[in-house]
Amino acid sequence: MVQPELNSAEGNGPPLTRLARHAMATRFEIALVGDRPEALRAAGEEALDEIERMERRLSRFRPDSDLFRVNARAAREPVRVDPPMLRFLRAMRDLTEETGGCFDITAGPLAALWRRAGEEGRLPEEAELEAAREACGWANVELDEADRIVRFRHPLTSLDAGAVGKGWALEECAWLLREAGVENALLHGGTSSVLAMGQPPDQEAWRVAVAPPAGEREGQPLSLVGLRDQTLSVSAVWGRHYSVGGFEWGHVIHPATGRPAADTRLAAVVLPGAAAAGDAFSTALLAGGRGLAEILAVKHPEMGVLLLEPGPRSPWRFHWSEVGEA
Amino acid sequence: MTKPTSASFNRRDFLKTGSLGALGVLFNGLEATPLAAAGYEPAQRVFDGPPVACAVIGTGLWGRELIGFLDRTPGASLHTVCDHYPAFLRRGAALAPQAKAVEDYRRVVEDAEVDAVFVATPTHQHREITVAALEAGKHVYCEAPLAHTVADARAIAAAAKAAAPAKLFQAGLQMRSEPQNHHVMTFVRTGALGSLAMARSQVHRKESWRRPAPNREREEVVNWRLNREISTGLLGEWGIHHLDTVRWLAGGRPKAVSAFGGVTQWHDGRDVADTTQAVFEFPNEIAYNLSCSLANSFEGSYDVIFGGDSAILLRGTQAWMFREADAPLLGWEVYARRDQFLNDTGISLVADATQLLAQGIDPATHAAEAESPVFHAVSDFIAAIHDGEPPAAGYAEGFEATVLALKANEALLTGKRVELRDEWFNLS
Repeated sequence: MVQPELNSAEGNGPPLTRLARHAMATRFEIALVGDRPEALRAAGEEALDEIERMERRLSRFRPDSDLFRVNARAAREPVRVDPPMLRFLRAMRDLTEETGGCFDITAGPLAALWRRAGEEGRLPEEAELEAAREACGWANVELDEADRIVRFRHPLTSLDAGAVGKGWALEECAWLLREAGVENALLHGGTSSVLAMGQPPDQEAWRVAVAPPAGEREGQPLSLVGLRDQTLSVSAVWGRHYSVGGFEWGHVIHPATGRPAADTRLAAVVLPGAAAAGDAFSTALLAGGRGLAEILAVKHPEMGVLLLEPGPRSPWRFHWSEVGEA
Repeated sequence: MTKPTSASFNRRDFLKTGSLGALGVLFNGLEATPLAAAGYEPAQRVFDGPPVACAVIGTGLWGRELIGFLDRTPGASLHTVCDHYPAFLRRGAALAPQAKAVEDYRRVVEDAEVDAVFVATPTHQHREITVAALEAGKHVYCEAPLAHTVADARAIAAAAKAAAPAKLFQAGLQMRSEPQNHHVMTFVRTGALGSLAMARSQVHRKESWRRPAPNREREEVVNWRLNREISTGLLGEWGIHHLDTVRWLAGGRPKAVSAFGGVTQWHDGRDVADTTQAVFEFPNEIAYNLSCSLANSFEGSYDVIFGGDSAILLRGTQAWMFREADAPLLGWEVYARRDQFLNDTGISLVADATQLLAQGIDPATHAAEAESPVFHAVSDFIAAIHDGEPPAAGYAEGFEATVLALKANEALLTGKRVELRDEWFNLS
């Protein structure tokens, strides 16, 4: 959980221009630094509009979204997508490879199976698991990049961008803000994705608190970080918990094994620049834990990771810098 | 014909019978399966003959929406994108990497390879570009309102009329292409509303309506909507689509319009109202209230038409009918899906409901892919060019809607009721 502190009361700088909007089933907020509030607001609104546009691309629930259209048709006929959608799918495929399969937007059928079985009070049968597993995986998704065509090789293949939509949207927002001349701003989507451009007035960095899972540590933050041209992404285990014959599971299913993952309760990732990769990494770390963090660090030496593991242990920190005691 | 019983559409049974139940999708809060996965095949047009080579002039937000749709519209190809502002042209070109990108609209109009032109520039720039394109023998899709003055709108309509029927002109009144609205029209035509009483629309969204710019000069240009001298205001830019929908469904042309409004929220020195109300006086004592506001988002945008037997609510691509307790039975409503709205029960008016039911598909549990009305408008335009058919909304409809919107804005600016004279709408 993230609670960005958006008070510049300490500094002598001008007040922040703040905007907010509801999208992707959460609340997005943008705080902009500068001395022309109308112009800043205009830039912020353009960015917020882009978030809504992104939802119309990536929501698997909305019947008017590009992703809905792809999921509905690609198994039966080639579906043409526009350049931003193609770029998104390519990036998602690359992220699956980079995370060793711990992050995978094609793993929807497996997640749906475990969810349905849990609601019916039973474990999935091997045959069902096999059938769902066959529908997952990027081998089932054919991307013709020259003609921008998507095809599914399996009738039950289905893409779910829920874990990464906010981060992807925030990255677009930052681009738009920069084009409008904004250098310093804090953007966040609900409690899971934060993007810090530059710094707030009279401070070194944007101060952001990482809150513990609901009901824990009496609401005291797990950590306080200072972000400057960086992103913070937090993923946590939440939602329905199922229990059958002593075997428990939640919503996190390891895409590569097809089975529930119980390694990590919360994963926070700080990266320079790109927000979408952060969302994918924090999601992947719930399944892949410390081992995955160490692998990712090889290619991303500036990445910081904080993991909350089962039991009363204190959080595991890996290249994690903090600004305050937590 | 056997009638479906409610027992055959138990949601849980539906999900269990198909292995396709694994494709859980939430639609209006229900787990629903995409229609296509259930074997439903909506009609897809296939065209003989070469695709219509299209150019989009004006690649701001709206132009880029059009580019996105054209990219996957059957029977069309994206030939050129055009904008005189380099940063916008770059954004447009990024969406259409295979198309030419030019800054001067004249190069588009003079290009013999271009068959059709989409004009998505600021409203006050429509006339010059649209007339040039029509005179150069292009089919033209021009965004609504057609222009910011009646004189300019008349010039566009005259050029379109001169080019017809060989060349097609479609006005950007996309709600005329929305299949759901055609579906609603059948209920209106069969008298399901009873005797018409009144109508109301609101277009409410909290935003400043300002656009960003990297420098002061560009700021002036890009904020044409906030320039009282050239802007058609909220009534023109937002209201026109709703007033056209109601005008189309209710029939008859208003005799007069009054309007009120001002700046209630965005006190940034602007003199274009951020909250407006217009009242159109339709024949037979029917009043239509159109409310447009930048101040508040509650309930967003919708239209309601009220009659003695029922009211119809149109919201986005959905519609519902609310029957009075003493309204005569229609028969089909017994099998229709109902949605609860606070104290009222609305009968969902779903296009193709009978077809779906005949195939054993429950429209309540299957989400049809929905395309935006603009997608349908673009598809209709391209299809009309191929088929040689009249457009969804032609120059006459575009002209009339534009004049109504401009006169409403005039009523707002002058504070006076405007009587709408028949000769204003005469295009001969």
